[in-house]
Amino acid sequence: MIKFKHLKKSFGKKEVLIDISGEIKKNEVVVIIGPSGSGKSTLLRCLNLLEVPTSGEIIFEQTVLTQLTENKVNKLREKMGMVFQSFNLFPNLSVIENLKIAPIKVVGLDEKEAQKQAEKLLEQVGLSDKEHSFPASLSGGQQQRVAIARALAMNPKVMLFDEPTSALDPEMVGEVLKVIQDLTETGMTMVIVTHEMGFAKEVADRVIFMDAGYIVEEGTPEQLFECPQHQRTKNFLAKVL
Amino acid sequence: MMKKRILAIIFTIFLTSIFSTSLPVLAADESVENIKSKGTLVVGTSADFPPYEFHATIDGKDNIVGMDISIAEKIAEDLGVELEVQDIGFDSLLPALEVGKVDIIVAGMSATNERRESVDFSDVYYIGGQNIVVRPSDNEIYTSKGDLNAKKIGVQTGSIQESLAKDQMPESSIMSLSKITDLILALKTNKIEAIIMEKPSAMAYVANDKDLATFDGGFILEEDEQGAAVAVKKGSSNLVEAINQSISTINENNLTEDYLKEAGQLLKESQGPQEQTKTMFNYWNYFAKGTGYTILISVVSVFFGSILGIILSLMRMSERKIVRIPAIAYVEFVRGTPMMIQIMFIYFAVGYLINIPALASGIIAVSLNSGAYICEIIRSGLNSVDKGQTEAARSLGMSKQTAMRYIIFPQALKNIWPALGNEFITVIKESSIVSIIGVSDLIFQTKIVTSLSYRGIAPLAVTMVIYFMLTFSLTKLLNYYERKMNHDQI
Repeated sequence: MIKFKHLKKSFGKKEVLIDISGEIKKNEVVVIIGPSGSGKSTLLRCLNLLEVPTSGEIIFEQTVLTQLTENKVNKLREKMGMVFQSFNLFPNLSVIENLKIAPIKVVGLDEKEAQKQAEKLLEQVGLSDKEHSFPASLSGGQQQRVAIARALAMNPKVMLFDEPTSALDPEMVGEVLKVIQDLTETGMTMVIVTHEMGFAKEVADRVIFMDAGYIVEEGTPEQLFECPQHQRTKNFLAKVL
Repeated sequence: MMKKRILAIIFTIFLTSIFSTSLPVLAADESVENIKSKGTLVVGTSADFPPYEFHATIDGKDNIVGMDISIAEKIAEDLGVELEVQDIGFDSLLPALEVGKVDIIVAGMSATNERRESVDFSDVYYIGGQNIVVRPSDNEIYTSKGDLNAKKIGVQTGSIQESLAKDQMPESSIMSLSKITDLILALKTNKIEAIIMEKPSAMAYVANDKDLATFDGGFILEEDEQGAAVAVKKGSSNLVEAINQSISTINENNLTEDYLKEAGQLLKESQGPQEQTKTMFNYWNYFAKGTGYTILISVVSVFFGSILGIILSLMRMSERKIVRIPAIAYVEFVRGTPMMIQIMFIYFAVGYLINIPALASGIIAVSLNSGAYICEIIRSGLNSVDKGQTEAARSLGMSKQTAMRYIIFPQALKNIWPALGNEFITVIKESSIVSIIGVSDLIFQTKIVTSLSYRGIAPLAVTMVIYFMLTFSLTKLLNYYERKMNHDQI
């Protein structure tokens, strides 16, 4: 579904991604792990062109993203939902408006349809009672669940999660992971950057280990966690497990 | 106050140098034909100079009257056109004439050599003299200009008295204000010891105010400094001829005496004994009119200033240099030059090419000025919104414009609301500068009330209260909306 070839990304002189290639298949759940600064978030953000790669190609359903005009990129982003570490809910809008604004302003849904869909999604993430609250009055876990529902409101084909639980208090991690896990059961294609190794083992079809701008190795959770091939992977796993 | 005069001179030189080089004197002098085809003679004057010209309430209506106005009426009548009088500050009169805002100046102006360099003059229509006005308690101490050596003297900015004081009383320090009424206030409050004034004016003020006394100044006067003459645009010899004919009729029939008598009568009627018992409430219609104009100017300017500010701020944040640079240059330039000059520039310089009325010039200038400040406020507001908000909006497929309009801008607006409110209040107060081009805003009307009531402090107090009521109610209104926007912060 998504292919990326020889991706390079540098910020000034600092090279964050050095020659990354790979593929995300339909209905696949891919988890990217690795130490801080390894480039995993940057890779994720390159997939929907929030960061424009310095060189290389990204192909999404036969379309080469890196050659598109601005308008077409907007159109393609609709199909890729993104969930951020810091939630990034719109603080000036109520929960339900957060879910409705993009379907109405971007897709052109009418108010009634958008409302119906938003209510359904809130129910799915277990926050029907918070419809008219404002983001600032919600806990971190609740905010992140709203953010997931907001991304789903655009009916994406892929969901990208950028460390969705890193900014949460420990007792709230569970409720967010539960929502993501429920999502895997619908067959949604997902790319998840996370530090939750237990969770990675549980939901991933495939795990990618990145370090210093390279993909060091990848495989099923069993392969990668039980018998890692590279020394760097072993060192990393020894620290986090 | 010295500064103001220097600015006016620089400005005049600037204007004449630009336009005199680009527009050589036209061969045919059509000054008279132009006025006749317009059907109106526009006269510029500074109506705080009784008995030459002053405001008086006749049948409940405000009018500009006086000897000069009677003479202007006579000139207009002889030309067979209507008379229109424009009240402008004395030091703005010459630039107004040069750029064609007015056709002639009749303002008790003496034809000095200095002024002859930029305008032409008719024959002298009245010879007065120069008096000194003092407080009655000092009448014994000061009896000639020699007694005022090394004292503080008041004169009208840009007037003949100013140069007289400089030349013949070099030891004295000079305070120059643009309105005579302000000078009188300064005298009464002991800020200055004496005012040098045209004899008829001095007589008129003293006759109407028991707190003033006057005597002949004993100045040595040049021939050309003695009399009042009508000023016209350079090169309008036909017009000068027509005016001279009217003046000679006036002189032959001794009409000036009648005019002066009539002016004195009007002065007495509108400012006679019963006037002393009047309160500021009697002038409410002046204050109301001024407040109306001030509100109009502020509201319209803030509206257009905001639109301009939004456009400029978006330009400033553009990735393209060619869009960004002009916006930056505009903001820096407008912020780096005084609003007073901007207003005069729009009115006089731009007005030279297209005739913009004073009110519109004022609104345009204040809008253009405010736009630059609002641009910076909006820019800081947009920058204050977390980058994650843009990313979240873009990741939902929103275009830059949609994200800006529905997500970023509303949040920025909330952040900058107090700063915007501040700017709006500033506009209400700063817009008072438009009074220098004769827009009848609150400050302008206050000066009229001052000259009508012969009282200095009361009108100022009323105006201060009105300004405060305006700004305070605006603050309350802004606070209300600020609270409404804050609902998302629990």
